[in-house]
Amino acid sequence: MSQYNIVDPPEGYSAPGFFATTLDRVVGLARKNSIWPLPFATSCCGIEFMATMGANYDLARFGAERMSFSPRQADLLMVMGTIAKKMGPIVNQVYEQMAEPRWVMAVGACASSGGIFDTYSVLQGIDKVVPVDVYVPGCPPRPEQIIDGFMKIQELVGSESLRRRYSPEYRVLLEKYGIK
Amino acid sequence: MERLLIQNSLQEKFMDAIISFDDSSDIFTVTVKKQVIVDVILFIKEELGFQFLTDLCGIHYPDQEFQLGVVYHLHNLPLNTRIRVKTFTSLAEPEIDTLTTVFSGANWMERETYDFFGIIFTNHPNLIRILNVEYLDYFPMRKEYPLEDQTRTDKDDRFFGR
Amino acid sequence: MEQLEKEHILVRPEDYDKNFSTLNLGPTHPATHGIFQNILTMNGETIIDAEQTIGYIHRSFEKLAERRAFYQITTLTDRLNYCSSPINNIGWQMTIEKLLGVETSKRIDYMRIIVMELARIADHLICNSVIGVDSGALTGFVYVFQQREKIYEIYEEICGARLTTNLGRIGGFERDFSPSVVKKIKEFISNLPKVIRQFEKLLYRNRIFMDRTINVGGISAERALNYGFTGPCLRAAGVDYDVRAMNPYSSYNDFEFTIPVGTNGDTYDRFCVRQEEIWQSISLVKNALENLPEGSYHMDVPEFYLPPKEDVYSKMESLIWHFKIVMGEIEVPVGEVYHSVEGGNGELGFYLVSDGGRTPYRLHFRRPCFIYYQAFPEMVRGSFLSDAILTMSSMNVIAGELDA
Repeated sequence: MSQYNIVDPPEGYSAPGFFATTLDRVVGLARKNSIWPLPFATSCCGIEFMATMGANYDLARFGAERMSFSPRQADLLMVMGTIAKKMGPIVNQVYEQMAEPRWVMAVGACASSGGIFDTYSVLQGIDKVVPVDVYVPGCPPRPEQIIDGFMKIQELVGSESLRRRYSPEYRVLLEKYGIK
Repeated sequence: MERLLIQNSLQEKFMDAIISFDDSSDIFTVTVKKQVIVDVILFIKEELGFQFLTDLCGIHYPDQEFQLGVVYHLHNLPLNTRIRVKTFTSLAEPEIDTLTTVFSGANWMERETYDFFGIIFTNHPNLIRILNVEYLDYFPMRKEYPLEDQTRTDKDDRFFGR
Repeated sequence: MEQLEKEHILVRPEDYDKNFSTLNLGPTHPATHGIFQNILTMNGETIIDAEQTIGYIHRSFEKLAERRAFYQITTLTDRLNYCSSPINNIGWQMTIEKLLGVETSKRIDYMRIIVMELARIADHLICNSVIGVDSGALTGFVYVFQQREKIYEIYEEICGARLTTNLGRIGGFERDFSPSVVKKIKEFISNLPKVIRQFEKLLYRNRIFMDRTINVGGISAERALNYGFTGPCLRAAGVDYDVRAMNPYSSYNDFEFTIPVGTNGDTYDRFCVRQEEIWQSISLVKNALENLPEGSYHMDVPEFYLPPKEDVYSKMESLIWHFKIVMGEIEVPVGEVYHSVEGGNGELGFYLVSDGGRTPYRLHFRRPCFIYYQAFPEMVRGSFLSDAILTMSSMNVIAGELDA
């Protein structure tokens, strides 16, 4: 029993028969353990993602059992691999098609900042076209690093306020990228 | 196949159109004038048996009079011989005849050469950019253009030694 | 730019009566393993024509290579066909060795053969299991990926990285095969045949798989040669052209291996050719490991081979060589050379033009995927949409190699 970490319940008041806490903590708890990712795999990091999904470094343990290839049904956009300038508007379009609440993870050096390809045809980081929540560096990052990034996303999801997506700061952020 | 045999048969058929033969590198190289390039390659394919087009690429020598070049690599599979054919053209008239009538595989390779160097292949079925974005208005592999995107703001060139 | 995209998809006025529809397959599509777009003109479910757009991951390798010293280009070649990076790395190092006139010893050649054949096994495992996934058979993929993890562990012992290996040096390797590498390779080679047989039992004589792949996406040998096909796609069409047999490099002519050849050039033949090549690679690795001669793991090329760190910190000469090599201040001969190796997809060629400077004057990669993917419209004209998906995945189009 001692080798397993039991996760604490969220802060709240409990007594026999009931447990009272705030709504956003419960919703965050439910959301963070059932994220449906969209694997936007472009190049080499995509193959490391396939290894992460495989039996050795199973990502399905974290609730990401169902990979959604349609943005309409996905929560998390994982951009893995180099994004060229030709591909930039397409990432933007895929992000726009996702429903709120949505998160973005930039996996790999190329998606975070252009990586080793400091050239005229490569977008120097996808944060030029979509707002990014977590950056996972590496070329390619090991599956353990991708899982670490995923767990950071889970932390963000679990602690997000329910009103964040309607707040004026979020509006301003989306305006900056031209997303309505 | 003997290099002398190839050299003699090409010399016989094309006489002045051949600029030079080069035996110094690992593959026998022939440089020809651009007007006869398709005939030369057709001759090499049909008569000498080089039925396989291995590669087609462009090259830019800004110091020469004829700056833009196209390099063809062909392979004779039964006799296991390779040959390299080069042709050059000037910047002012970058037109060369297309090879798609001889080899279908030259289609995309010529589009790539056009995309990178601006060499226009006349009578090509679909000569548009293939790898770069369509609205790019210059030919990036030419020597005068830089590698990096000059409009990027997040990388400071002072730290990269440029 | 959006306007141009829409123009591709709108139905042209002359087609209104014909009842054709246009389907946009990609660029982000789960079945295209990689980023490339196909715009299919269809009559119901039959494909009339296909138009391809590529370049969505164009990273301008050739322009980058003109700025990088020779060792820095090895990291670029990793990312060409990233499913089998060691083959690209070793091919590039052999190109430079050809330019410099360096001959490698038997031990280095055999070590290179072991690494390259492991990479070929990894590449073919992905391709074949993905053909299974695209036709609905997901189990094979999961079985086979476990073996790929074992290959990653072997690479990690040899060079430190899993996927983009950046392996080897000009003139050999950076370190010898340690005893744990040899043990891991022996274990892997003895366990792999059982897993491959399990995988084959799932798909080889499976009625559904055979119905979906026989006579689908075929191409004749003449058309394939005209297009410049190489690799398993050409061998499935019936032409036994393998660079390892035709222009042997790295002592491949010391070994006996057969070249599997198909008849129709259809998807089933490509699957079978790749499966058989996995068996041939297993026997090559076993033979090379058993007959590995004694010797040094690198040739004596002081101008290009980075000296070991103990010498760099203690001897002056090694320090100077280390500095010169890393800064790229070495005399390079002027000349041009073309060298090709048998990659997972076919003849991967490197055309290097050097003008004596620290970086190449021009480096062109002859990428097999780029050349044979042009034939895709011809292969799918007249077949159904589901056949197009299987044809595309059996051609093993890797986007990194397609766009470079």
